[in-house]
Amino acid sequence: MADQSGSSGQMGAGASAGGFWARLQQIPRYYIYLLLAAVVIWQILFPIPFPVTPSATTRGLEEAIRAVPEGKLVLISADWDSSTQAETGPQTAAVVEACFRHRKRFVLMTLSPPMGAKLANNIASEIAKQYRATYGVDWANWGYKYGTSNVLMAMVKDVPKTVGSDFYGKPVKSLPIMRGVRTVKDIGLVVEVTGLAGMTEMWIGLIQGPQGVPFAAAYTAVMAPGYYPYLDSGQIEGMLVGAKGAAEMESLIARPGLGMAIMSAQSWAHVLIILFIIVGNLGYVLARGREKSG
Amino acid sequence: MLTSWLGPQQATTPLVYHILLALLASGVLLYLLHRYLGPRGRRGLIVVATFLFGLFFGLEYFLPVRTKTLWPTGLPNVGGSAGNLLTPGIEPMSNILAVIGAFTVGLGVYSLVQVHGRNVLRRRAGWYNSFAFFLSFFAMFSFGLWQYSLHLPEPIPPTLTLTQRIANDGYEILFQGLYAPLQAATFSLLAFYIASAAYRAFRIRSAEAALMMVAAFIVMLGQVPIGAWLTRGIPNEGAIALLRLENLGEWVMRSLNSPAQRGIALGVAIGALAMSLRVWLSLERGTFFAEQK
Repeated sequence: MADQSGSSGQMGAGASAGGFWARLQQIPRYYIYLLLAAVVIWQILFPIPFPVTPSATTRGLEEAIRAVPEGKLVLISADWDSSTQAETGPQTAAVVEACFRHRKRFVLMTLSPPMGAKLANNIASEIAKQYRATYGVDWANWGYKYGTSNVLMAMVKDVPKTVGSDFYGKPVKSLPIMRGVRTVKDIGLVVEVTGLAGMTEMWIGLIQGPQGVPFAAAYTAVMAPGYYPYLDSGQIEGMLVGAKGAAEMESLIARPGLGMAIMSAQSWAHVLIILFIIVGNLGYVLARGREKSG
Repeated sequence: MLTSWLGPQQATTPLVYHILLALLASGVLLYLLHRYLGPRGRRGLIVVATFLFGLFFGLEYFLPVRTKTLWPTGLPNVGGSAGNLLTPGIEPMSNILAVIGAFTVGLGVYSLVQVHGRNVLRRRAGWYNSFAFFLSFFAMFSFGLWQYSLHLPEPIPPTLTLTQRIANDGYEILFQGLYAPLQAATFSLLAFYIASAAYRAFRIRSAEAALMMVAAFIVMLGQVPIGAWLTRGIPNEGAIALLRLENLGEWVMRSLNSPAQRGIALGVAIGALAMSLRVWLSLERGTFFAEQK
């Protein structure tokens, strides 16, 4: 039967005996939801900022962007949609900012899901205005390209032919930024921003490994642990982990943005969850002690 | 109309004719297959096609590079990626896959319309949800296509005609104002469930559970700036720097998590290889029409 009481739904040691310690293990979930929402809203409205220290993984990505040779493009593969936008949005913005900051020309592309092409375009357009960058010259959006691995395989041979038209339906060959871009080897760095598992394996298997194109990535915090082995092996040059990675990049390029803003809320949300876990365990241990003693 | 959808550069007359001709030929072919092939014939066709496509991509990947090509290609040998005798076929094969993929989108739409159409017509329980599907589907479809067909320049100029304004604003409201926030809100609910689940599930019932909890605390605090702030008193140089929460979190991720992930990745890859072989050879139970009599 479904739990209608709104309680935790799981009785720990001593819970059946009732009492204060047992109740600590059964805080109704509504209180947890309310407290979490309150903490997040509080920190969005009145943030308590903490200093952000860039990690080695973020430094790796920033250095990889800086190392892109003159005349080569940075390809930002925005493979995300609004479900992960809280993390991938600030990450994309941070990578775009880093490109503008280091005067690297970049192109956006989306392999999956299609929504990423539009969302990433909105972000890049806004930032481009601040840098007075021109679409088609300093940056471009290749749009959503259907076929994932087939697109990557075809790009090895002929990028303009594979891409065809950009986000606005304009042939990419007509864009000045595409001058000198023939194959995937004319791309100096691929930055994969994604919340989807499996995309990195394709990029590494078809582009980074066989073609030697440097590869870096930005992942949602939940999927990043799975990609540390690629970082250790040097197949990934650098990595942004969740919103924290975006905040670290913003700190590195001295352009505080959404990533930094999220950090306060996320910090206190993590503390709240840890407190809940401690409270639940306190109740569990003490109730078990009472059961044993009497 | 096709010219405005495809863009002025792409919608050349031969391309339009090719698309129409291909659609017609596909329709006729599908009708003939449906009409004259029984379940056994259809299954056989799919098994053979799967095997041939799998064989092609497998051989192309494993055959040694720089041998003679099977057929001539106009493409230059760019970037030293000559490939092998099957490599020139990758592009047409990929195009075929892309076209088939596009058809599956159409199939998905057809299926949705069929299911929700029945719900609305028969006034089944919750029919209004199905009606909402039609409403949102056609609204997004119409405004999306309309806005795209205008090929507005970037950045959007401030002076748009009334038609352009309606098309652009309508699309922006539906996409940016409704669809994106709805999807984000649905996903963000997970944070609340995770908080509640962590509170309920994390109990120190054994030494392993305690170890897991300690690791979780370290990573959770190491992933946010408050962790670094809490241990800011510890010097960030020398061996003692490892005790700073951000460094400890990074150590857990790289020294403990990474080897475990590597092992999992190897296991998954071997499993995927075995599974792929079974699907390629149509040995997998329930493949295609196996359950059809």
